[in-house]
Formats: sequence, structure tokens, C-alpha cells
Amino acid sequence: MELKVIAILRRLNKGVALFVGAGLLVCATFVLTDIIMRRFGTSLGGTEEIAGYAMALATSWGMAYTLLEMGHVRIDILRSRADSFKRALFDVFSMIVMSGVIITIALKAWPVLERSIKNGSTANTPLETPLVWVHLPWFAGWVWFALMATTITLCALSLLIKRRHGDTEQFIGAFAEQETLQ
Amino acid sequence: EDLSVVGSWSSLPLHKSYEAPFWGTTLPAAGDFNVELTTHNQMSLGLGDIYPLLGQGVYDVAMTVADYAVSDAPELEGLDVPLIALSADEARAMVDAARPMVSEIYRDRFNSHVLAIAPYPPQVVFCNAEISSLADLTGLKVRASGRMTAKLLEALGAEGVNVSFSEVPGALQKGVVDCAVTGAGSGYSAGWWEVSSHLLPIPLGGWDPVVTAINLDKWNGMSAENQALLTDQIKTGFEDLAWASAQDALVNDIACLTGNGECPSGDARSMTLVDVSDEDFARARDILTSEVLPEWAERAGGDWATRWNDSVGKVVGVEIK
Amino acid sequence: MIGYVSIGLLGLLALSIPVGIVLFLLGFGIDAFFSNFPLTKGLGNMVWSASNSATLIAIPFFVLLGEILVRSGVATRTYAALDRWVSWLPGGLVHANIATATMFSATSGSSVATAATVATVAMPQAEKLGYDPKLFSGAIAAGGTLGIMIPPSINLIVYGFLTQSSIPQLFLAGLIPGLGLALMFMLITVIICLIRPDLGGLRRTFPFPQMLRALIDLVPILMLFGMIVGSIYAGWATPTEAAAVGVAGAFLIALAFGGVSWDMLTQSLTGTVKITSMIMLIVIGASFLNFTLASAGLGRELTEFMDGLGLSPLGFILVVVVLYIVLGFFIETLSLMVVTIPIIVPMVLVQGYDVIWFGILMIVLIEMALITPPVGLNLYVVQGARKSGNLNEVMLGALPYCLTMLVMAFLLIAFPSIALFLPNALQ
Ligand code: NA
Ligand code: NA
Repeated sequence: MELKVIAILRRLNKGVALFVGAGLLVCATFVLTDIIMRRFGTSLGGTEEIAGYAMALATSWGMAYTLLEMGHVRIDILRSRADSFKRALFDVFSMIVMSGVIITIALKAWPVLERSIKNGSTANTPLETPLVWVHLPWFAGWVWFALMATTITLCALSLLIKRRHGDTEQFIGAFAEQETLQ
Repeated sequence: EDLSVVGSWSSLPLHKSYEAPFWGTTLPAAGDFNVELTTHNQMSLGLGDIYPLLGQGVYDVAMTVADYAVSDAPELEGLDVPLIALSADEARAMVDAARPMVSEIYRDRFNSHVLAIAPYPPQVVFCNAEISSLADLTGLKVRASGRMTAKLLEALGAEGVNVSFSEVPGALQKGVVDCAVTGAGSGYSAGWWEVSSHLLPIPLGGWDPVVTAINLDKWNGMSAENQALLTDQIKTGFEDLAWASAQDALVNDIACLTGNGECPSGDARSMTLVDVSDEDFARARDILTSEVLPEWAERAGGDWATRWNDSVGKVVGVEIK
Repeated sequence: MIGYVSIGLLGLLALSIPVGIVLFLLGFGIDAFFSNFPLTKGLGNMVWSASNSATLIAIPFFVLLGEILVRSGVATRTYAALDRWVSWLPGGLVHANIATATMFSATSGSSVATAATVATVAMPQAEKLGYDPKLFSGAIAAGGTLGIMIPPSINLIVYGFLTQSSIPQLFLAGLIPGLGLALMFMLITVIICLIRPDLGGLRRTFPFPQMLRALIDLVPILMLFGMIVGSIYAGWATPTEAAAVGVAGAFLIALAFGGVSWDMLTQSLTGTVKITSMIMLIVIGASFLNFTLASAGLGRELTEFMDGLGLSPLGFILVVVVLYIVLGFFIETLSLMVVTIPIIVPMVLVQGYDVIWFGILMIVLIEMALITPPVGLNLYVVQGARKSGNLNEVMLGALPYCLTMLVMAFLLIAFPSIALFLPNALQ
């Protein structure tokens, strides 16, 4: 059951990551177009502003994928010396703490969105981008990350209670996927 | 009284010569104040976050360029309109006239009380191109900061380009930009005279007023004596001093850049000072009042345009139609 | 407070909590114990402004560039070509590792990306040719660190961004120290392998015509370097935008070598997202921690500490060096820079040092931090690319290179013109 849920989340977030990656590619194209247009004395205008938004959105929506690929850096000096049960304890504890922090971030991201809704804020730039357009998807990304972290934690806890601690290693262990790290 | 204070850019003279001495020495000496001073760049705060966080009580006092907060309060752009104040005295008159509006905006938008408004040096234009009038800006690539300045430049026919302050010299040299707007003193000390030839000594970027405000709950919780003491001290020990030096600073900085007159801060340079003719200036003012300001009135909404006309507009002789 | 942060950091890291999350936790702790203000209220704003940055978008672009080069086979060809040229030296293929890392440093802004690229292509060779794993992998970890010294460099962009100094000048200043370090790495390898020939493995010589033909395989990387750095100095692109130029260039090269496929593209994109988020969680955590530390008066505490020592400028800079070496053991490097720059750099400037010069000195120290345990990202990257053995071997292998970097730091202090010659000459 738990492993099935994780498999589904992995597929889902791989899709999200592809989408985010494609967004970054579009952003690169946009920047490149601007560089070329400037050679001809014109400009798209506002690429810097848009690149900033792209980075904020890519960051918030990419976090969960990295989590599921066990890509967030952890130090395993003590952990690597423990047996499989204690390792699972390390991992579950770390996931509980992480979920708590991410939920806090998601909650605190709300006032930022709320302010731009309430004030109808627009960017302090000639584009005058309504900030709701960017704050909303950014906030949603952190909520998504919080949901993913919580679900993973619950799955791991459930496996731990069932004494299947060996199974948690494959989705909350450390460094499993390092060979693909670029 | 414990105060946690967030100052403006730590590297600029306003902070070094006026903010730091006032909060560090003058105020604690004058009364029972215990101040913890840092600056927003040392905290790496987002520029647009400085006043909203003040309103939430993350710190007690904050000061920065009012223009950084216009995302949340477009009506605040009216505090710093380019080209309408040409001397420090005029700029102060403009700021004083706007003060009641600014106080109201800070109370309603940022839950804070305005203590002082001090100037950065006027934002003038450095060009690495042969220009003799404002009209010559047409078609040039200009680096500006702030929304109203960018809009004015666009209305004048120039093209706005985004370049960070530290990259401006390289950009001017290579022709990525033809002109750039900054304070005369900042341009002198950052060596912009090495890479630009002409100086337009008019405040096309306004005066970048720096607003000092205190969290409203903190303010209301202070004793009446302390409120009076702080209000009085910040006026005489900070605001008046900063304004008093503003005009001299402009004259000196322009002398340093062009070599016309004494340069107290180091070697004088030889940029060409561009004389802005009356017709030229009238045309720019006309664009300002017929295009840029009405656009602002629309962004700000409400009766801000009327209130601006009745206060700032009266003082500087400009009316938004 | 400094004590609390150090002990808290070590304790929480030892519990295997992700590094980025630890930084947030420490920030919450500062808020709870050292500050009378509700600092955590600013959390949302800090997370937004730390990630809404056009400067930082260079990170995903450089990572993507590296992904494309590896997955299209360009990286492997480069490695093989350099092998032809340097493997006759005592140490053999170890020199190819350093040379390839130097080459990729010139197109990548990130040390992690550089080390990963080289490790992926080099590791299979080590096993095939029977190299001592320590020196071989240590050289990759250390060589990879050059990624942030030889332009382009994300860390120099961040330094320029935070100190308001010119990024192109920083890039110029990094060139000689970067190439100098590469040569010193090769020199120390030769010395070690002359003393202990068993560490070096096979020395191989290739016929000259083969060496000449191999040069063709270096052309793509050199072109890429030319595109990225050229676009900056021609005034066409800002240092950040140049990263986008690099992505386009890598794509063109991959196309030319027939290495573009749907699989390769999706893997490159998801790989990029993964590394970017990994880095960004740490960057955002560090900026929140920095915010709480600054609010709670760390700047004053540090300034008082340094003033209290009453040091000469030289003594001061030596204390700074020691500080970075110690902090570098435990703190992830980008966080280390973000957290310390606003506090340390103004003090260094007051002592009369040059901001560009100090940026380069700091990069050398940051490079050391990348290969010192327990928190040394490059060590983990290289270990991850190996199929066997443990981390200790990589750490041990990296040690001689670490000492070489320390020598470079002292050289920079003794002869500032190593860094400042190029920017001054081309001013
Ligand atoms: Na590089
Ligand atoms: Na380290």
C-alpha cells in the first residue's frame, strides 16, 4: 500500500519536474531572444523580472520531486553506522522534522499572497505585473511540497509501525540516487 | 525603551553620516533609549518587504527609499515625482507638503507612524553619448530605477534597460546603455566619470526620499514623553542635518564630476555639464504633467490626484489634469 | 549566540536532518531564544525574496548545460582527448581528471556540476586501468572545485551580487588563480607519484598523430567557453544571461554530435530540477537564518569580537582565513557565503583590502570547504559516482589538494596581483 502510494507520488512529481524543467528551458529561450534582439536595437523588456519569477516558481514546485528522489543533502556520519532499524528511525525522525518545517513555510507563505490580494499589489517595474499572478502559483508550490512531505512521512510511519523498516530505506533513505547527481 | 532599528543601505553616506550617529549616539544620549541597529542589506531583506515587515512588528523602526514600497501602495509614488524639485529647498518643500499624505499611507498600508523623511542626493543622468538637450535622450538606452522615472524616460522617447548598479560602468563603456541615472555622489565614488562623458544635472530620477517609520503598535505603546523626545530628536538630530547638507552635496558632487568649482571629496573630473534650456525643460515638464502623472493618478486611484494637486502640486506649481 | 548556532548546527546535522531544513530550524531557534521580535513572521517574505532572483537563475542554466554535455557524450570525448595529452606524467590518468575538470570549469559555473560531470566519465576508467581509488577520486573532487574559480562562476555572481562589485571583473580576477591552482594540483600529483609510484597507476604515452587528432574533441568545449565568456566581455550578455547562452551552445554541440534524443532531454530537465531545488532549499534556509542572525545582532557580536582582537590588517585577514576553514568544515558553501558576506566583507574593506581580491581569496577558501568533511558536497558527489569503496578514501585522496589550496590562499595574500593583474590590465 505505502510503496504503491510512493510510486504514484514519484510518477506525479516526475511529471511536475518535467513541466518545471520545460519552463526553465522556455525562460532560457526568452533570455536568449532578448540578448539577440538587443543586438538589433530593440528589447523584449522585463526579462530580468520574468527570470526572477521563473526561479521562484521552479524552486517551489521542484522541491517535492527532489524530496522523492532523495536529493536533499543530508549528512550521514552517525546514520551510516546504525543498523537498518535505527537508520529507519533516523530517516523517519528527519522526515517528521522536515514536514513540520515545510508546513510552517507553507503557512507563512500565505500572508505574502494575502497581502498582494488585499493591496492589489503590482510589481515596482514598468511591466506592473499584478503580484497575485506569481504569488498564487508560488504559494501553491509550497503547499504541494508540504502535502508531499506529510504523505511521505505518514507512509514511512505506517511501515515503521508494521515493522517493515527495511522498506523505508528506498524512499526516505539518504544518497540512494547520488550516481545520477549532476 | 528598547528599539530594534533597520537602517537604509549601509554603504551610502546617509547611513554612515546621519543614521548611524543618530541611532547609535544622539538618541541614546538624549534619553532612555536602547537601540539595536542593523541595515536592510545586512539582513538581505527584499526591498519590497521592508515596510510590510515593519507593519507586522518584525522590527520596531525601518528606513528606506519610499519608492521601494510602491508595489503595495502606488499612491506613494506621488512623494517622489522627477523633475519638479530642482534644489534641495524645493525638494524639502515638496516632501513637507506631501507629509500628511505619506503619514496616512504608512498608517493605513504599513501599520506604522512616519518619524522623518530625509533625501538621498538627487538622481541625475550620466551619459556616454554626445547630448546637448533632453530631446537628445530620444532613442538612447537608459538605465533607470523606479517606476515613475522609467515611465518618464519612455515618454521622452528613451528605452529603459535593466542593469544592476555594479555593472553600469561596464555597460556604459560597451554601449549596452548610453546613459544611466544615479545620485551624483554615488556616480562620482563608483567611478562612472571614467566611462561617461556628459552629465545632465537635473533630477530626472527624483530625490529618492528615505522614510523613517516606526511600528504603530510600538509607537502607541510608548510614553508621551518618549514620543515627544523621539519626534523632536529625530528632527533636529537627523532630518534637519541630512537636508542641510543635501544642497551643498549636490553642488560639490557636480563640481567634482565636471571640474567647475572646488571638489572637497578628491580629484575633480572633467565631464561635460549639459545645460538644460528653458524650452527643453518645459517640454519635459509638459510630458510629465500630460502623460506620466495622469497615468499615476489612475494607478493610485481614489482622490489621490486631487489631494496631490492641493498639496504638493500647489507648492511646485504643477497640476495633474 | 555563535556558540548556540555552532553546536545546534552540528547536532542537527548529525541527526541526518537535511541541511536546508537545519538552517530553518536554527533560524526558528534564534527567534525563540535570542530575539524579542516575531522574526518568524518574516519567513514567507524571506522565502519569496530569496528565490525571486534573476541572478540565481544561472544555477539551473549551468546545471542543465552540464547535464546536456554528459548525456550527449561530449564529456566522454573531452576526457578521452585530454587523456592522450597528460597521461604520460607520473600519475597518469589522475592528470586527465584534473585537466578535464579545468576544461569543464571554463563552461560551468558550479563546482558540484563540474565534479559530477568529470566523475561520471572518469570513474569507469579508474576501474578498468587499476588506479588507486584514493588519489584518483580525490583529484576529481578537488578538480571539480575549480568550477567556481575559473569563469563563469555562480559563487562569484553571488559574491558580486551581495557586495555590489563588478561580476566581469571578478571573473577576470579568477582566471589566473584558477589556472594556477590547476597547475599546482598537477604538480602535487607528480610529486606524490614520484614518491609513491604505486598510487599513480599506469603512465601511458600515445603516438603524436593520435594526440593531434584528439585535439578536435576539445574544440566543442573551447567553443562553448568562447561563447559564454565572449558574450560577457563583448557586452552582449550579463554574466547571468551568459548562462542561457551556454545552454544554447551546449544544445548546438549536442546536436552536432547526434546526442539529442527525447530521453536525453527529459533526463537532463528533471536532473536539472532536482539539483536546483536541492541547492535552493539550502540557499533559502541560509537567507532566513541570516535574517534572524542579523536581527538578533550577530553583526555587532562579530564586529566586537574582531575589534576586540585589535589586529593588524594582515593578522585580521589570517583570522578570516582560519574562520572560513573552520566554518567550511560544517557549513554548505553557498550558505556559508550568503551568511558571512554581509558581515565579513565590510570589515575586510575597512582594513583597506580590495573587494575583488577578497572575493577571489574567499573562493579559494570556499573551494577548500567543498572537499573538507563532514560537509563537503564534492566528496559526496564523487563518492556517489563510485560503485564501491567508502567515503574515507575520497576524503584522504582530497587532502593533498586541500593543502595545495591553502598554499594558494597564502600566495594570494602575499601577492594580491595574482588576482588583480588581469582586471587592472584590462580596465
Ligand atoms: Na567556472
Ligand atoms: Na566542508
